[in-house]
Parts: sequence; structure tokens; C-alpha cells
Amino acid sequence: MTIHGSCLCGGVAYEAEGPVETMNHCHCSRCRKAHGAAFVTFAWVPADRFQWTKGEELIQAFAGLSPFPRRFCRICGGNLPTIMGDQVKMPAGSLDEDPGARPSFHMFVGSKAAFHEINDDLVAHNEYPPELMEKSEE
Amino acid sequence: MTIHGSCLCGGVTYEVEGDLDLMINCHCSRCRKAHGAAFATFVSAPTERFSWTKGEDLIESFAPEGRGARQFCKVCGSNLPAVFGDRVNLLAGSLDDDPGIRPAFHIFAGSKAAFHDINDDLVAHDEYPPEWMEESS
Repeated sequence: MTIHGSCLCGGVAYEAEGPVETMNHCHCSRCRKAHGAAFVTFAWVPADRFQWTKGEELIQAFAGLSPFPRRFCRICGGNLPTIMGDQVKMPAGSLDEDPGARPSFHMFVGSKAAFHEINDDLVAHNEYPPELMEKSEE
Repeated sequence: MTIHGSCLCGGVTYEVEGDLDLMINCHCSRCRKAHGAAFATFVSAPTERFSWTKGEDLIESFAPEGRGARQFCKVCGSNLPAVFGDRVNLLAGSLDDDPGIRPAFHIFAGSKAAFHDINDDLVAHDEYPPEWMEESS
């Protein structure tokens, strides 16, 4: 299954060979700022199954304090995938189709927006899930 | 009460004086694309109480024909408020403070993302609420 994604103006497009390995919601303050949303849902695939298919020259990157720059379309501002070493996280809102996967957990709920309540039964981690913390220390 | 907002890099800031009128969640396909999120939460205020306080030169607009403009910071890409005549739509995710107000209803739930379930008790309109449709017709 090939999963397609694009920005609002259609200038930038990408695709990933499925399946999506993980989908999660992030409530951290930086994601909320960057996306102007209550939280952001990401779909993860290995980087070797991801590629830009159109408009790579329209992509603007912003690193800030992170080692992994956030990307957006400089024409429409649509938020685009972030390449994090051997993994890519795709903002689920930029996907063109149902990715099949469903969110399995929340992270950074310790800093979630005051105006947003979490009303589902998914595991809600205050920061990263413990298994991701261990991975990043390796 | 003054409510402050800013983009991720802090290059653009804004403020709104006084209480906010309405907060809604929009699930339309265009908001989902622009925000890369399951839905976008908007807060509405009268334009006369809104002002940019820093970095107006960093704001980029995207305004396809026949549609309202969307704005973002050209440095960090963060979505920013857009002015529509006498109203301004603030993106709740860009607010620095708790705006006090909470979402009142969902719009465009009829085109919501397949991966997202609406799990609260708010009214979920398939498109715009009927009273808005009447106003615009």
C-alpha cells in the first residue's frame, strides 16, 4: 500500500510505502505552536520507505532547538513530514488518504493545551513513552 | 484581560484585548492540510481588539481565489491568525496563554479525518452550523 501526502496548495507531494508503523498524538507546546492546533497526529514510517515526489524546492526548513528540522511549504505554509534519522514522521493531516493505521497513544500530555480535553482511552504519556526515552539514550 | 499569541520561532507575536467570542473545532480537508493536524481549533474575536505586536514583515499569506487568506510565519512555518473583515480567526494552538474559552462545537465533521474519532459531547455539524448558512445565503 502506497500512502500519499501533500500540502494545501499541492506544490509539495510525498509518498511512503506502507504500512504505517506507529501513529500517535503529540501535545507538546512546540507542535501546538508550529501547527496552530490543539495537538498534532503523526504517522511514522522508516525513512527508506519515504520519498518526496514533487516540489522539493518549495520546502522550507526550520530547526530551532531541535536536531530534526520541521518542514513546511513556503507557498501555503502547509506542515510537512520531519525526517528523524532513520524514521520519518508525517503530519497525519497532510495525508491524502486514510493511512489505515490509528493513533495508539498520546505524548506530552503533561504540557497539553488548557482548552483541549482528551476524551479517549488511549495511553497518555506525560512526556515521551518510556520505550522511546530508552531508545534516544542508546 | 489581554491574550497573547506567537509563532514557534517567536518572530511574530500578536495580542487580543478582552474576552474571546467563540472557539470551534474545524475538521474540513483544507484546515487539515494547512495545519497537518486532525482538526484545527479557532478562536474568534473582533478585529478592532486584535493587533500584531512584532514581526509583521515575517508574515506570509496564502489566498487562493475565492477563499479567505491563511497566514504563516515565513521563518518557522507556524500558522498565524487571519483577518476576515471585522473578525479575526486566531489559531488556538498559537496562543501563549489559556484563552479561558473552550470549544463550543465542531464544524465540517462530515469531512473529518478517517483516523480521528470525535469523542466529546459537543454538537458536530456536517458542514457549517445552519445559522451560519442562513446568514451567508
